Amino acid sequence: MIFLRRQLPLLITLITGLLFAAQYYVPHPASEQMLTSATKWLQIIGGFALILGVTSLFHQHAVKIRRQEAGWGYSLVLYAGMIGTIAVGLWANGKESVDGAMTAFGWVYNYMMVPLQGTMFAILAFFIASAAYRSFRAKSREAAVLLVAAMIVMMGRVPLGEYLIPLSGDVSSWILNVLNASVRRAILIGVSLGAVALSFKIIFGVERSYLGGGKE
Amino acid sequence: MSLAERMLKIDRRIIFLVIGLCTLLPLLYPVGLPIRISSEVRGVYDHMESLPERSVFLLSIDFDPASKPELHPQAIALLRHAFRKDLRVIAMTLWVSGTGMAEQLVTQVAKEMGKEYGKDYAFLGWSPGGQAVIINMGQDLYSAFPSDYGGKPTKDLPVLDGVRNLKDVAYMVSLGAGRPGVEEWYVFGKDKYKFELGGGCTGVMAPGLYPLLRSGQINGLIGGLRGAAEYESLIGQKGKAVAGMDAQSATHLAIIVLVIICNVFYLSLQRAARTQRQIG
Repeated sequence: MIFLRRQLPLLITLITGLLFAAQYYVPHPASEQMLTSATKWLQIIGGFALILGVTSLFHQHAVKIRRQEAGWGYSLVLYAGMIGTIAVGLWANGKESVDGAMTAFGWVYNYMMVPLQGTMFAILAFFIASAAYRSFRAKSREAAVLLVAAMIVMMGRVPLGEYLIPLSGDVSSWILNVLNASVRRAILIGVSLGAVALSFKIIFGVERSYLGGGKE
Repeated sequence: MSLAERMLKIDRRIIFLVIGLCTLLPLLYPVGLPIRISSEVRGVYDHMESLPERSVFLLSIDFDPASKPELHPQAIALLRHAFRKDLRVIAMTLWVSGTGMAEQLVTQVAKEMGKEYGKDYAFLGWSPGGQAVIINMGQDLYSAFPSDYGGKPTKDLPVLDGVRNLKDVAYMVSLGAGRPGVEEWYVFGKDKYKFELGGGCTGVMAPGLYPLLRSGQINGLIGGLRGAAEYESLIGQKGKAVAGMDAQSATHLAIIVLVIICNVFYLSLQRAARTQRQIG
């Protein structure tokens, strides 16, 4: 059993990891066909992951409702919303409109999901303004530099800022293109090297946490 | 409690009111300040302009309704430009929750520009897998999308004549609000299948994509509502983005003024505390 639980997954990871790392550099039709098949499988697994996610969400909230835990009413709303949307979605065959006429699924999407998501995002502007007022303070020299840079970029990114301080557009562009890009690139390089190192550790079986715990 | 202390603990509803007014008033009474075109947005525009007629333009609408205010105007401006240039437009999305919105916007602009479905444009819809879809499209587009959003086999669409995979796409723009988005299209798409790539994103994401822009990994970037307004100005069809720029100007200015006020009171309090310590 240990072979099935430990050695076999490690062996599969080693073989597929090395195979697909090499595949990138081999443009042979057989190698390309292998990639096509693998990505098709990935898409299929992606579809099942969606089902798994929805099932898990249903299960989690069902437990909350059954035990009447704090906030179980929200779980009930989630259940009603999800079941209702799935029902009208299946009824409409997943289409928002048929021959130009809006379906019930389209109505839910256009008049509930779109405004709700839009509102959530729009509210952020108010909270950001409030948070900026409360916490964006020049408490140290570094914070002061950040504060000044942020104000220049904010001015330079809107027509009114460029109208009031014509130089702000160019300075803002310089901050984004030079300072920001170089720092971001350094972070990206660091993260990428970390990802490469982690990939090697997984491929060669040094990092095994993805196998999970449980009994041997 | 001193004035400075009171001001620092100001009721946040007053700030909400200020931001609300700064958004509402410019929308009701627009000023229409001129918009300067940045080199990032011009990069996308110039490449679209350089494409010959009937070239294949792939637009991936990788956002959901939450980012609609910023990215919807970008998509509309790009589609108007593509249809005006008589490009073959293939639209799709990697975000399941954006599928309906994407279909509506493509249909709306195509109708406005008098384009015919199947011949001038197609909407492939959504397919599960995120970046796997990109790789799959790079290998074989018909394997990733055997049928379009309406269920028609993609192989029967005249708009896709001569298109086998991403290598046959003349230009691709991803309008992304997160992952999968512009970065994934570069890493899993352009890097291997060598097509020209441009990007569009929300304002907060734009600074993160500048490294890709500076290294030429993407040839242009439309950032936030400002980027959309610039693109609308470039194609000479001003829309919601240009209309929203006054409101954005006012709110930016309001936040800057609020931050300055907060810092003036904060520093005055610090100074008072220091003086008191010295006396004590």
